[in-house]
Order: sequence, then structure tokens, then C-alpha cells
Amino acid sequence: MEGGIRAWNGLRAAGPLDAGMAYFEPAQKPEEMIALAWILEEGACKFYREMGKRHKDPDEAALFRELSDDEEKHKSSLFGIYRRRTGKEADPGFPRSLLSLESGVDYVEGGVVLNTALDWAQGQELKDILDFSISLELNAIDLYIKMERKVEGGEAKEIFQALSNQERNHLKRLTAGLQKDW
Amino acid sequence: MGIMDYFKPVDTWAPDKVRQFLNEVSPQDYNLVDVRTPKEYEQGHLPGAQLIPVGELESRLKELDRTKPTITY
Repeated sequence: MEGGIRAWNGLRAAGPLDAGMAYFEPAQKPEEMIALAWILEEGACKFYREMGKRHKDPDEAALFRELSDDEEKHKSSLFGIYRRRTGKEADPGFPRSLLSLESGVDYVEGGVVLNTALDWAQGQELKDILDFSISLELNAIDLYIKMERKVEGGEAKEIFQALSNQERNHLKRLTAGLQKDW
Repeated sequence: MGIMDYFKPVDTWAPDKVRQFLNEVSPQDYNLVDVRTPKEYEQGHLPGAQLIPVGELESRLKELDRTKPTITY
């Protein structure tokens, strides 16, 4: 339901609703999927890093910083899979040329432009930021499960499985954050 | 090709449409799922909504009848 319970109650809904909701359409080549996942990890990484800077409470800042650090590691794992699949040690075209995306624009899950998400986050309560972060993680889990099914090769499957498990761990931390009295 | 070519939109309904649907359709014919925290659920939820916190959704999907429409909030 659009806007969730707050819309139902007639209160003003929070969240970048105009961006709509979307899920990853998996009918793509594995290399394109890896490139897309890298771009989305990059977007999430930058989103969390910025949230870490904006939130002055040490515990809140630490949560976002740790999430950002993890997403940075995920990018390395994804490029590692790409390198091994293609045999290319370095590829200046990775990841954007594989997807023919506009340069200089960062995205987060659902195809939302990172700057739109960052603008929205200005002045939002922590709860709303955590809600949005949960949607990023859910989509990431969904993406990695689909990629694990689609790629061939034991190692790539194992890495995608590990990535989806790590995103599940993020989900647990964020949902715990929702229930915590900060 | 744009970024949105890699995503497929999820159908979202405005609250009024959900209200109309819930009024007209028997509860046996849909899944209504509250994915928030137990604390939020206790504070108020849609009548008949089943609580499945988002973190448990994946492991509890079998509790939902996939042949019926599912509304989440």
C-alpha cells in the first residue's frame, strides 16, 4: 500500500514515494547483473556514508559507517567475480559501459537517483532513514538470490550467497535499530 | 538503455483503493500483511492484518497463499 500505515491514518506519508517501488528484473546477462549490483552497492555505500556524517549521535553514526564499509567490501567481491568470469585484470569500462548508463549519476536500489534519496533524507527522522535503508537491503537480498540462481560456476554462486547473507545481517541490524530507543 | 530498464515496477495502491478492496472482498480471498515491528503492530494495524516483520518475511513466505493477492504495508 502506497505510503504505508501513515497514509492509511491520513497523516502525511514520509519517504520518496514519487520514486515508486520497483524490483530487479533478472532477465539480463550475468556480467550486466554484476555491473548493476556494483553500481547499487556504490550507491548504498555513498548513502550510508553520508548518513554517517549527518548523524551526530555516535551509535547512529557508527551503524551507518559500518554499513557503508561493508558495502565497499561488496564492491570488491563483485569486481572479483567479474574479473574471474571475463579474465580481464582491469577494465576501465566496468561497470557503466556494460549498462550504457549516464556517467556521473549514482543510483540506489529501485533505480532511485542517489541525490534524490540524499535530498529526501534531509531533515527526516532516524526511523524514516532506517525504513528507507531496510528497503535498500531487501532489494539487495532479492537481487543476490536471483543472481545466485542465474550464474553458473560454484565460486560465483558461493559469493552471491555470501553477499545475500551479509545483506540479511544488515537487515537484522537495521530492524533492530527500528526497535531501539536511540 | 536507462537504469529503469533493469527494474520492474511494483503495483502500489493508494489507501482509498485498499480501503475499497478490503470492504468489497472477503478476508479469505487475500493476504494482508503488516511488515512493521511487533511494537508498531500493537500500536495499531489494519483489521485482520497478519504480522510478519520484514526481517522474517523471507523465512515465513510459506504462511501466505500465493494464489491470492497480497497487500503489504
